[in-house]
Amino acid sequence: MGDKHLRAGLIASGTVVALVLLVGIISPFVPYDPAEAVNYDQQLQPPSMAHIFGTDGQGRDVAMRVLKGTEAFFLPGLFAAALATLLGALSGAVAGYAEGWLRTGVIGTMQLIDTLPRLVYIILVCTILNPSIYLIAFVAAILFVPSIATVIRRRVEALGSEDYILAHVAHGFRPVRILLYHILWLQCRPMLIRQATYVFGYVLFVEVALSYLGDYGMQEPLPSWGNMVAQTRELGGAGIWPWAFPAVAIVLTISAFLAFGNLLARADEEEVR
Amino acid sequence: MSAELPLLSVQDLVIEFDTRQGRRRVVDQVSFDLAPGEVLGILGESGSGKTMTTMAVLGLVAGEPGVMGGSIKLLDGEQQVDLLSDLDGVLSRKGDRVVKNGRKWRRTVHKRMQPLWGRMMTAVFQNPRHSLDPLMTVGAQVEESIELALPDLAADAVAAKAVDWLDRVQMNQPQRVHGSYPHELSGGMCQRAMIAVALARRPKLLIADEPTTGLDTTVRAEIVELFRALLEEERRSMMYISHDIREVLYLADRVIVMKGGKVVETETADNLRLGRGTRADYTAMLLSAADLPTGAAA
Repeated sequence: MGDKHLRAGLIASGTVVALVLLVGIISPFVPYDPAEAVNYDQQLQPPSMAHIFGTDGQGRDVAMRVLKGTEAFFLPGLFAAALATLLGALSGAVAGYAEGWLRTGVIGTMQLIDTLPRLVYIILVCTILNPSIYLIAFVAAILFVPSIATVIRRRVEALGSEDYILAHVAHGFRPVRILLYHILWLQCRPMLIRQATYVFGYVLFVEVALSYLGDYGMQEPLPSWGNMVAQTRELGGAGIWPWAFPAVAIVLTISAFLAFGNLLARADEEEVR
Repeated sequence: MSAELPLLSVQDLVIEFDTRQGRRRVVDQVSFDLAPGEVLGILGESGSGKTMTTMAVLGLVAGEPGVMGGSIKLLDGEQQVDLLSDLDGVLSRKGDRVVKNGRKWRRTVHKRMQPLWGRMMTAVFQNPRHSLDPLMTVGAQVEESIELALPDLAADAVAAKAVDWLDRVQMNQPQRVHGSYPHELSGGMCQRAMIAVALARRPKLLIADEPTTGLDTTVRAEIVELFRALLEEERRSMMYISHDIREVLYLADRVIVMKGGKVVETETADNLRLGRGTRADYTAMLLSAADLPTGAAA
C-alpha cells in the first residue's frame, strides 16, 4: 500500500473516528428528556432544517437520538478496549517470559476462556445476571484477553532469543523494562492498537445486537442505535428515517474504527521502515 | 592484595548440551585468568567452544543442561564473586547421569547477574545488524546506556555525551547517525554504534564476541583498528574472541587457543608473534596458515 493511500485512508477513517469521539464526549452534557421529546404532531418526518435526520414514530428528533445513542456504547467501549489491551498485553508478557506454573497457569486460563464463542458467553451472562452495559463490556474485554495475550506471548518468546534483546540483558537492563518498553511498547504497539480498536468496535456490535434483540441492552425510551433500528419492526416499513441513520452510523462507526486501527498500526510499523 | 587478583578467573569450566546423539561436552575443563587492564584474545574455529565460554562468563548460556562445572570468579571491588557458586545445589545424580534443575539455575543466575550485567561487564556480539534494537534510533540506544551508567546525568548532558560517544567510535557525521535507525546504517556503522552502546555503559570488562564476523574485509580492518585506537586511548580490560589469528595477535596481550572445547595453548601475544618458545601443533598450524613464524614444536 502506497504512502498516499495510507494517508487518505487514515484521514477518512480518522475523521469518522474523531466525530464519534467528539459526539461521545459531548453527549452526556447535552440535556435530553425522552418523554418530553415525544411529539405526535410530527411523526415520521423526513429530514428538514428543524430535524436534520427527520423524526421517528413518536415524533422524536432522530439526530438527537443518534447523538444520545452513543452513550450506550461509548464509555463502555473505551473501558473494554483499555482493559482488554492492558490485561492481554500483561498476561501475554508474563506467559512469554515466565517459566513453570505461572506460564502454564496463564496459558491454561486463556484456553479455558477461549472454549466458547464470545457472543455465547455474553448472552449467558445476560441471561443469568441481566447486567448493565458496563458488566457486558467487562465480560467482552475478558473474552478478548486470550487472543491478545497469545499474539503478545508468541512475540515475547520469539524476541527472547534475539541478539539485541540478549544485548539489552547484557547491558544490565531490568527484565521489566525490556518487557514493557523494548518489547511491548516498541515491538507490539501496532498489534495493540489494532486489537484495541477491534474491541471497541466489538462492544458497539454487542450493544447493538443486545438492544436490537430487546431483552437486554438499552431499553426504550432511552435511545441506542440498536433499539432505534429495532423500531423498523413496529413501524412496518412506514418510514426509513427512524432507522436509516442509526444503521448507517453503526456500519460507518464499526468499519471506521477497524480501518483506523489497522491503518494506524500500519503507519506505526512503516514509520521506521 | 586485590592488585594481584585477576579481574576474571575461569577454572575448570564445563559446558554440556543434550543432543539427539546424547550428551555432548562443548567446553571441557577450560581455565584462564584475565588481569585488570589486560586484553585477552580467545582464538578458535567455530565449534571450539570459545563463544560458549564467553556466554558462560556473561551468564547467558542458552540450552540444556549448559554449565555443569567449574568456577567463574569476577573481581567486584575488593571481592571475588563466583558466578557458579550455587551450581552444585542444582545438580543431582539420576542413575549414571548428572541432571540439572534448569529453571532453578536460571533463576539463581539471573538474580546474581542482574547487578553485575553492564556494570561489571557487557558484550559486543557478532551480527551487528541484529544486535541493535531495530525500533530505536542509534542515539536513543546510546543514551539508554549512558542513563543506566550515570543515572543522575541531566537529559541534555546525556544527549551531548551520546554524540560524543558516536564520535569516539569514529562515526562520520555523529549528529546524523544519532537520529538514524539501525536499518539506515551499514553493517560496519552498526558495529561502531554497538561498541558505543557497550562502552557508554562503562563496563569493567568488555567482551567482544567475534565483532568482525559478517563484515566486509575492509570494514573488518576498520573495526579492528577502532578497537586498537580505543585501547590506546584508555587501557581497558577486554576479552576479544575471534577465529582470525591476525586480529587476535594485533589486539591482545595474551592469547588462549581453543580447539574441540579445550584450551590447547595459553601464551603471550608477543611470543606468538615473534615465534618464541614452543608451540602446540594446532597453534603452529594457525600461525603458518597466516604466514607467521611458528616457533618450535611442542
